[in-house]
Amino acid sequence: MTESLTAPASGPRTNPRGPYFPLRGVRPSVLARNISRARLGFSPPEIDQLSEYFLREGRDPTVLELAGIAQSWSEHCSYKSSRPLLRKHFGSLPPHPRVLGRGDAGVMALGQGRAYALRIESHNHPSAVEPYGGAATGIGGILRDVLAVGARPVALADPLFFGPLDLPADRVPRGMKHPRYLYENVVAGIRDYGNRVGVPTLAGSVTFDPAYLVNPLVNVACVGLLPVDHLIPNRSTQAGERLVLVGGLTGRDGIGGVAFASRELSRRSETESRGAVQLGNPIMKEPLIRACLECIDEGLIRGMKDLGGGGIATCSGELVHAGGLGSQIHLDRVPLREPDLAPWEIWVSESQERMLLSVEPRHLAALLEVFDLHDVPATEVGEVVPGHEERIYFEGDLVGALDLPFRIEAPEAVRPVRRPTASPNPGVIAPVRHPLDRVLRKLLLSPDALSREPVIRLYDHQVQGRTVGTPFAGEPWHPSHADAAILRVDPEGTTGLALAVGSAPFVCALDPLQGGRAVVEEAARNLYAVGARPDAFTNCLNFGNPEDPSVLGSFDAVLEGMADVARSLELAVPSGNVSFYNGGLGSGIPPTPVVLATGILEDFRTAVSSDLKAPGHWLYLLGPTYPDLGGSLYARTYHVRARTVGHYDPQLLRRMGEAILRLGQRRAISSCHDLGEGGLALALAEMAFGGGMGFDVDLGAIPSLPSSVAALSEAGSRWVLEVDPGRADEVEEHLAGLPWTRLGTVTAEGGILREREQKLVELDLGALYGPWRQGLAHISPAHA
Amino acid sequence: MRRGELRVAILAIEGTNCDQELFEAFRSLGCQPEIVFLKQLEGERSPPSLRRRLSDFQILMLPGGFSAGDYVRAGAVLAARIQSRLGDEMADFIRSGKLVGGICNGFQVLVEMGLLPGGVEARPGPPQAALNTNDSAHFECRPTYCRWDGGNFRPFKDHLPAGTVLYIPSAHGEGKLILSGAHGADLRDLLANGQILFRWTDPDGNPAGYPWNPNGSPGDVAGLTSREGTVFGLMPHPERSFQIYHHPDWMRRPVSSDMGDGRRFFEAMVRYAETHL
Repeated sequence: MTESLTAPASGPRTNPRGPYFPLRGVRPSVLARNISRARLGFSPPEIDQLSEYFLREGRDPTVLELAGIAQSWSEHCSYKSSRPLLRKHFGSLPPHPRVLGRGDAGVMALGQGRAYALRIESHNHPSAVEPYGGAATGIGGILRDVLAVGARPVALADPLFFGPLDLPADRVPRGMKHPRYLYENVVAGIRDYGNRVGVPTLAGSVTFDPAYLVNPLVNVACVGLLPVDHLIPNRSTQAGERLVLVGGLTGRDGIGGVAFASRELSRRSETESRGAVQLGNPIMKEPLIRACLECIDEGLIRGMKDLGGGGIATCSGELVHAGGLGSQIHLDRVPLREPDLAPWEIWVSESQERMLLSVEPRHLAALLEVFDLHDVPATEVGEVVPGHEERIYFEGDLVGALDLPFRIEAPEAVRPVRRPTASPNPGVIAPVRHPLDRVLRKLLLSPDALSREPVIRLYDHQVQGRTVGTPFAGEPWHPSHADAAILRVDPEGTTGLALAVGSAPFVCALDPLQGGRAVVEEAARNLYAVGARPDAFTNCLNFGNPEDPSVLGSFDAVLEGMADVARSLELAVPSGNVSFYNGGLGSGIPPTPVVLATGILEDFRTAVSSDLKAPGHWLYLLGPTYPDLGGSLYARTYHVRARTVGHYDPQLLRRMGEAILRLGQRRAISSCHDLGEGGLALALAEMAFGGGMGFDVDLGAIPSLPSSVAALSEAGSRWVLEVDPGRADEVEEHLAGLPWTRLGTVTAEGGILREREQKLVELDLGALYGPWRQGLAHISPAHA
Repeated sequence: MRRGELRVAILAIEGTNCDQELFEAFRSLGCQPEIVFLKQLEGERSPPSLRRRLSDFQILMLPGGFSAGDYVRAGAVLAARIQSRLGDEMADFIRSGKLVGGICNGFQVLVEMGLLPGGVEARPGPPQAALNTNDSAHFECRPTYCRWDGGNFRPFKDHLPAGTVLYIPSAHGEGKLILSGAHGADLRDLLANGQILFRWTDPDGNPAGYPWNPNGSPGDVAGLTSREGTVFGLMPHPERSFQIYHHPDWMRRPVSSDMGDGRRFFEAMVRYAETHL
């Protein structure tokens, strides 16, 4: 038994359970090299802080201690580069009355004693190296974040970004994987984990662009439901509580995962970082969720936290430190998958399907009984103690003892920020150069516009029985895309919770401030379209290397844009995640903020779908059209240098959105669809597909723009409404004072775009539907 | 037995994940459902307060999900566990005329156990059927329709007109019914015995191939019953069309009633149990 960590003056030494890492008396250059070789990822100022601390302590750190600090101080766990900017923008939003919690997941009040939790995060780097396992464990991790606040996970969403599916095989960068392989395996990982664990996948997006060739993005989001009084804090509440590790066994997978996530990808990522990717097991997760929720029902858990990046080290440290307390932890009690793990490996392993619970001693027996019923391992591994110190033991020997404020509160990194100068919008509006009918056919069948049905059908979107609005709209034999999915919160209540994702990387690349607005705008627009009032969003901020001042400058601008819309719509931002260091091999990704936004329907039965309902109905365009072709599907597909983006007026968005809500509640509109990629033309096609119908629309009704630009502009804040002529007066009355125009009518078939009397395009929608619906399943690598 | 006294056991192990909505379906019809873990039916394997006796229930439901992960063959692990620990009790339960139903993964379990289509007398023996990988070779979640052609299913017999088409959505990767007899002989036998519970059709009730038959089952078979008509299994999920708002197209037309097609299935079971058990 040793209770002391006093080591000899310097030099490596083996204590009973692990070597010391010499810090004191080592020349700075040698120390920097040693740190770098150990892949601990400390920066020079951080090395100074470490040296200072241990000099004061009069000893060198153990390898276990240093490994734990490295986890907590990593960008991934500490947000050290992003914290100041998050504070500046999201931190300055006015307090939101319905936010109940901002822990591992944000928690929002729903009324009548109910609440929901939401959170999104990235699993980009693991998915780049091992797409199936990386995506699956991404789902696993986000489920635990929501569970950790006491919520039952009820919906998943997954925005994905890959390189082009048809990339010739010989154009894949060395050491990287083909986008088709990544895409198929990421989707399979989400399918196999999400379906097995029994949580419906209800929203998402798939974007293809060469910018994501080296570094695909796999973002995963989860929403949970809970009674307000079941809200569990992510902290221990008093000394004496027992720390109980529940769930899967601990193995060697996922060691160094957070360090891997906190640097750029390289040709060697595959060989060096394969071990940093965790292994998932949904059939441990499912009973783990059940057992935790049962214990919460019975009031047996005081605090809990999920084990994610940094393993027991990060989780236990944050759990007790958040309660202003210390801990004693016995690593030899941790149930292992492999018997020979070193204590430091147990300390930082990121093995999946584990949670750490803080439990009052009087509840311990009952808690263990619940876990036993579900055959889920549960082990008391330590105790919460007064003070601010953590003491780590292995077989009775002290192997680590650190001041928790020092270990957990990573020093903020002060990094230079250079705001990009937005390029001026050109004054002249040029008409689209290509023949419009050919453009529309090509865009409609382009990878970013094709129906997502081949992916969505692989995910169970109905399990749990809450889904009253699926990701599809239209006749069961003729589905198109819904703008947002809707959950019925209670089997007999009328409250609906709608979910929509938003992203706008190509606008962000041209103008990050407008791009930030566009992202939140898009999600809000989708929610309004189904009749839901936007309530909150959770954000995943995927960016490049924060040590590059222009990356951090874009970050700053994007946050400002997102916060603008949040302020105008009074949206809460109760949770989020930052993913830096996306990129590698000299290429970065465009700034890719992604949101999962939630909206509330007081009565979900007033929801409106996007599919056309009846020939003879009138079609209206709500919202102003600007020549915004910058970053549009047209510009990207035809490599047109269009730079015009961003005419976002969040106040107007809100007034128009409220009008749509009123019209929906009065059942005065038959369908509503937001305008997104491909603008008005593609929105009309999607509406027609869902109803198995057609349209006849006059682009001349949109003032002062060339018809081709009016058809393809991706200006925000716009919707198409379908109205029974008998309700037209009522609708127009409600739209008074807003920018709207009557475009044309719903027809039985065919898509006609005209300029006054002149027909510009007549699309054979019946012939296009099949290729549009199934196309995504058939894109293969081209032969160069 | 009065509806309020009807006890429904919804059997769960790790990976069964459609138990909550099944519970909700029976609860809203006024029965007393309970999610029961297999362990709770195995005597001393659970603490006394949690122990249950199968014979205290009138209906036993095996819900959907991925029991034990379904990494081997769907339903195989749970079937083996039930067989070894609960086999005799379950046989007695069936012989006493009580209802045993399996949905999706639960259907796979009943087939693996040999209870479908063979019935309790065929057990123990090798299964006479299998639910094989879908023709599409993967899991699919899609809207599907089923037609009742008349048969032995006791809750429907003499109550639901033959030819009735119900919207009951499906979500599975292994649902293609394979029978051992050559050239469809078994299928003809099952038909003659009234053991076909449902056939996949298009929304108008016509046989239509993929995707309306989502897995490629010969004869479009979507569900089976035992000869006696009290043990039954089906691939689609009636608990997922319990409310009209579960239907994929409810926003397309005015809604006159909250009732979804799946509810008729549960109503029939409960009515049968009320009058016969």
